[in-house]
Amino acid sequence: MKIAVCAKQIPDPAIEISYEKGHIKRPEEQVLDDTDRYGIELALQLKEKFDAEVTILSMGPKGTLKGVQQALQMGADKAMIVSDENLSGANSLTTSNVLSELAKLSEADLIILGTESTDGYSGTVPQQISRYLNLDCISYVKAVEVNSEKVILTRQTIEGSEKVDMPDKCVISVTAGGVEPRYPNFKDIMAAKSKSIQEIPLNNLNLTAKNNLKFIDIEEVESSKNGQKVIDDGEAHKFIIEKLKELKIL
Amino acid sequence: MKALIISEVIDGKLGLGSLEIISKVRNLNIEFQLVTVGVDDVPTIGSDSFKQTYLKRSSNSLQYNKVADYINNIIQNEQVNLVLASSTYQCRDIISFLSVDFNSSPVSNVIDFSIENHKVQTVNSINGGNQLYKTEVDSEVSFLLIRPKSFEAVDIELNSNYISIDVEDGITKIYDIHKEEKKGPQLEDSKVVVSAGRGMVDVSNLSIINELASKLNAAVGGTRAIVDAGWMPYSQQVGQTGKTVKPDLYIACGISGATQHQVGMKDSKFIIAINKDEEAPIFQISDLGIVGDTLNILPKLIESI
Repeated sequence: MKIAVCAKQIPDPAIEISYEKGHIKRPEEQVLDDTDRYGIELALQLKEKFDAEVTILSMGPKGTLKGVQQALQMGADKAMIVSDENLSGANSLTTSNVLSELAKLSEADLIILGTESTDGYSGTVPQQISRYLNLDCISYVKAVEVNSEKVILTRQTIEGSEKVDMPDKCVISVTAGGVEPRYPNFKDIMAAKSKSIQEIPLNNLNLTAKNNLKFIDIEEVESSKNGQKVIDDGEAHKFIIEKLKELKIL
Repeated sequence: MKALIISEVIDGKLGLGSLEIISKVRNLNIEFQLVTVGVDDVPTIGSDSFKQTYLKRSSNSLQYNKVADYINNIIQNEQVNLVLASSTYQCRDIISFLSVDFNSSPVSNVIDFSIENHKVQTVNSINGGNQLYKTEVDSEVSFLLIRPKSFEAVDIELNSNYISIDVEDGITKIYDIHKEEKKGPQLEDSKVVVSAGRGMVDVSNLSIINELASKLNAAVGGTRAIVDAGWMPYSQQVGQTGKTVKPDLYIACGISGATQHQVGMKDSKFIIAINKDEEAPIFQISDLGIVGDTLNILPKLIESI
């Protein structure tokens, strides 16, 4: 079995995102999106069960590959990346187009992703990839059970949840918390250094997605409220009670 | 401009998100029709004032690809050039599929839109609502996923005037369908929301949150951090990747106020925040900020109510 996991390198999420000409400014060094750790973890659990090969797929503008390295450190076998300045500010469809082309090259049976990235959070890429590849998309997987015969995926739905048996070929999106991502140990970190990262030229891919979203501008909003601030001296709850009465909640 | 609103049947009714979109589309004087996805036999989702097509799917089969194929046909036959849906699980799937079919990247998390010179312009809220990001969509068919609560829902009389189509089964079977029991006030429509963050320290302390919520007849929410940690189900997550709420009162307990969280609650009418860290960003959007230990303050508060 071959499994591909799409992983995104993002700017350090602790720092507020800044924009340049409408595109997220991406520093030279980006990190692995935590959301992707769930997808990688699921792939690794399947690898342990089915002796699969796990390939990380990633795309973005040029830079260091710290995020991809972090994905390899968790235990993925290799990576295939497209790194091209023309991908700066790529919309979700272009992203999916590139990743589905990479998925074809990786010959993956299963393609696993997080539900949405932390920086762009369009939340449409897994489903778009499945459409490009004409596969079922098992979206919003929030629990996984691997038993001797099959893999059972529990999907989050608007009313609760439902289960499906994992098809042999499909795209899966995993919600945060769906599995418990592992932490790499020293040995894993060292081993990752010798793993293959294959760079695929953008020109080699069959890209059809158009750049149909044009940035207009960014407008600042005055949102600071300057509300009342009270330092608790043991009696601060009284301020809340007073407010609750004022708001006619009590 | 001709719009198609993709809707869904939730608890036997037309999804609230689509009622919000209808009111916006009416304000813009855009011609529109609906297509609604559901599993109920004859839901009351029709109207004399707009065309409605009901795509009835089976609850035991994963059919969203086929649902998208039907909607693809409607878009082409009816010459639709604007497709709108609320950002729900199934609408995200459907819009994504269609965006590939029509080679038109969707705009996600839209909070407002307009038509300028026959082109669709969208507004997104970024950096915790401190900035608005505007986009023009240059496509023959534009696809928009709208954040819930962006518009006031329209109040319309619904009947059974619609076309119904049975969607054939897909390959993947669905089983063990579980409906989460809806106990007490729900996040989406409660007037008061009490939310918990990492500052609650341990999952066992959520009992304090629940007690406060029950005294105030409030819904309970949480940050992504505690949902990820398994303290609460995903359905209770408030924020960018969770639910958007606009209650009369939002009480943030032990929540620092990361951008991810603020997006989902900053438009609440009144915000009370309790946090140990005086510099926590949540205080920038609070009407009343209490700097102190949530675990000390909440029990006293509960006792005084």
